[in-house]
Amino acid sequence: MRCASRWLLAIVVCGCSFLRPLAQDCPARPNSGTVVADPFNIYSQNGALNAQFVMAHSVDASGYTHYCYDYQAPHQVVEAPTLRVNPGDVLNLDVVDKITDTDPMKMKMAPPSGPVCGDSGTATLNSTNVHFHGMNVPPVCHQDDVINTLIQPGTPGFQYAVHVPTTEPPGLYWYHPHIHGFTEFQVNGGAAGALIVQGMEKVRPEVAGLTERVFVIRQQYLVPWIPGPYELTVNYQVAPLLGADKPIIQMKPGEKQFWRVANATIQDFLQLQIQFNGSLEPMELIALDGYPLAQTRNETTILVPPAGRAEFIVQAPPSGGSAVFFTNTYNTGPTGNLDLSQTLANIVTSNDAAATTMPKATPPSADGVKFFDFAQHPATIQRNLYFSEEFGGTNGPIQFYVTVDGQKQKVFEPNEAPAITTKVGAIEDWTVENRALETHAFHIHQIHFRVMEIDGKPAPNNDLRDTIEIPYWDGKGPFHSVKLRMDFSDPSTAGTFVFHCHILLHEDLGMMHKILVQP
Amino acid sequence: MKRFATSQVLCTVALTVSLLAASGIASAGTQYVVANDDAAYPFGTGVSFYTINANGLPIFLQQVQTGGYGIGGGYFGMNRLAVLNTSEQQCVYASEATSGNIVGIAVNTLTVGGTASGSATDGGTSNGIGLAMSSSYLYASFSDSNTIGTFAVQPGCSLTFLNDTSVAGLQSGVINGMALRGNMLIASYTDGSIESFDVSGGSPVSNGDKQYSTATVNSQDATYANSIDITSDGHYAIFGDTSTQLSVEISDISSGKLTKTKIHQSATSISASNILLSPDETILYVVNTQGDTVSALFFNASTGQLSAGCRSGRIGGISQNWSYLASAALISQSGNGSGIYVAEFGSSSGIATVALSGSGLQCTLKEASGSPALDPNSLGLLSIGTFPPRSF
Repeated sequence: MRCASRWLLAIVVCGCSFLRPLAQDCPARPNSGTVVADPFNIYSQNGALNAQFVMAHSVDASGYTHYCYDYQAPHQVVEAPTLRVNPGDVLNLDVVDKITDTDPMKMKMAPPSGPVCGDSGTATLNSTNVHFHGMNVPPVCHQDDVINTLIQPGTPGFQYAVHVPTTEPPGLYWYHPHIHGFTEFQVNGGAAGALIVQGMEKVRPEVAGLTERVFVIRQQYLVPWIPGPYELTVNYQVAPLLGADKPIIQMKPGEKQFWRVANATIQDFLQLQIQFNGSLEPMELIALDGYPLAQTRNETTILVPPAGRAEFIVQAPPSGGSAVFFTNTYNTGPTGNLDLSQTLANIVTSNDAAATTMPKATPPSADGVKFFDFAQHPATIQRNLYFSEEFGGTNGPIQFYVTVDGQKQKVFEPNEAPAITTKVGAIEDWTVENRALETHAFHIHQIHFRVMEIDGKPAPNNDLRDTIEIPYWDGKGPFHSVKLRMDFSDPSTAGTFVFHCHILLHEDLGMMHKILVQP
Repeated sequence: MKRFATSQVLCTVALTVSLLAASGIASAGTQYVVANDDAAYPFGTGVSFYTINANGLPIFLQQVQTGGYGIGGGYFGMNRLAVLNTSEQQCVYASEATSGNIVGIAVNTLTVGGTASGSATDGGTSNGIGLAMSSSYLYASFSDSNTIGTFAVQPGCSLTFLNDTSVAGLQSGVINGMALRGNMLIASYTDGSIESFDVSGGSPVSNGDKQYSTATVNSQDATYANSIDITSDGHYAIFGDTSTQLSVEISDISSGKLTKTKIHQSATSISASNILLSPDETILYVVNTQGDTVSALFFNASTGQLSAGCRSGRIGGISQNWSYLASAALISQSGNGSGIYVAEFGSSSGIATVALSGSGLQCTLKEASGSPALDPNSLGLLSIGTFPPRSF
């Protein structure tokens, strides 16, 4: 959704917010044109990862509002570290909310309607919680519940104890706030980090021993619901659309590295490329959305929708050569935002390049990896869903819908009944259409789905994903669609959780509904 | 073949206009397409006047600067222009949403005749100020204050503010579309409710018929009435809906009150926030506000029934880059209107020309070669009109 006329309104409404004095609650972010460092790592030990995050908030000198997960590292406070766990571990994460946005214009939402999890009260821009995106963990309080979990400022905080299944696929996940109505603001401010389930080398030995890099690509707008100029960042370093001060990624000449890239933008569809002197270089795709591919494949462009992740092997140019890490233009349709092409980073060869190294390959766990063979199990239930939009004017009212075919179109309400009810053990095929003039990104919590069909034809790669793009309707012909196989056979899926568009404005405005999986 | 038919219609229109102009029958001598430029601060706003060339396309003539500021956006179905064409005076009135003013322009001189504002609390900075008028009164719907201001028409295209009427939908919806026929003023609200008012005494007095439109009820608020048109005899009110498909509703108002609306819907296009009846009331033009298309439905003014007609291809101009199409104005003020001009909203705005051809229950809508005409003075065009206006 875009609208030029909102600029003036935003300045009028939000001007006070821009002019607040510079606060110091979030760590300083890297300067442009510098070498990109990986995020700070926190490793699990003896079956548990224990950490405390303080969610803070500040406004930088350029007027960008920062929301940050602060972590006290041995010598400094770092922002949004990478959480590294093993299958079978417990992630004990304490979150203290110290957001102190005193803007009187801030909105409020109704309190959660279900059982209280964490703090009670009304959700505001100062409230938060955490979603462990892509993790196949239970949708219950203290694990990955986003419907009822509320963390309010001024309280002692909230303790997550996420039990990572022993069969959790090794790969790149991520964490971010998921407070209905305010998710976009906080993610736009940078509140997002990588979560890695270790052991990729056990499933995909191609990565064993390679240098590992973790890149979290974020997006910041001055005001997130204003479709004005935005900035992409790579590990918090601004990648300017124009100008020479690009982030720098160092690689040893000719070396292969294992890159783990999370699209933590609020709405940008990334088309990742590696370019040597303008020509596209192949990337060996290892995993998507935290799930290792059954077979690796070479790609010259990897489309990563908002919230998606791609893990792939990149080879550096020879000594003295240069390359760029690039995202290509992506057309999101007549009512979508134009996702512009730009260099994300310059790749510079250097013998001094240093980073962590993937372990040597070892045999995979006897427990195997979740979902490995469920495509062989036929679906017993078919459902049809669709995305649609309505605009009453350039400034709204705007309604974003995801609808189960046959039901009324309505936006998400925290106290709504589940739009879908199923049972543990069900395997379902969901055909999701896009009837809007804007590309959407379908995401469901708690499980990965297998992509069975695209536009009614067998998908070329039956990848397991947790987020997938569905292109816009161009006004003629059938709507674009995907058929997705959903596996609710694991008892840990029991509970109520959500599916939604991962363009976060759309999610905040209600393009989301609940699903209840009965035990 | 279709190209020939389209060009034939446009040539006929152009010839008719030329003949009318030459004979002095056309009011103020010239036919104009008019645009409320709605330019936002720091750009001063105004009203752009276009003449019509031999091919029926608008040709920019000049902008009349109105002295204030618009907002460059707002509700699609809100008409920000009103045209007065009486034997006494010919005026175009335009609202300035940021400044809160209604500006009258004398058509014969293309100069500002007067500027009026409502009460101290009237405002339209959020979504605009809509206009509807009779020969004696102009009604302005203010989207911030949710009020209808009543202004008396004065000589010299000026206005005098009389009073405000507070309005709201059943769930506090904001006034959106507005249309006037005789003594009945009809309004739509953003919560899906509709209401009519008696204006026989000048100021609007509710007829006590506020209700949700049927489409709003059926869709559980996912569809709601936006722009409004009323048949010449005041028998039917027609509502163009904001929806995820084409949705138009009709209410029989022959009793003097709104009755439950009947729905005409189609899934072949998206939204119908703007509608316009043809002069002979056989065609309802529907702007598919999203999706870059225009539809024509066949209308039976005796029964109030709509039936499927035709749909244009994608409008090829500005809206390709910015999807919103907004208000429509008739190419011809007689017969089936010969098609419509359509406002194309965008950082570069313009006016598309879409010609209608066909006969009986067959029709074709096709964008004219050379369309669109740019509006050099608008960054967010939503409202256009014609002078002289449709006869009812």
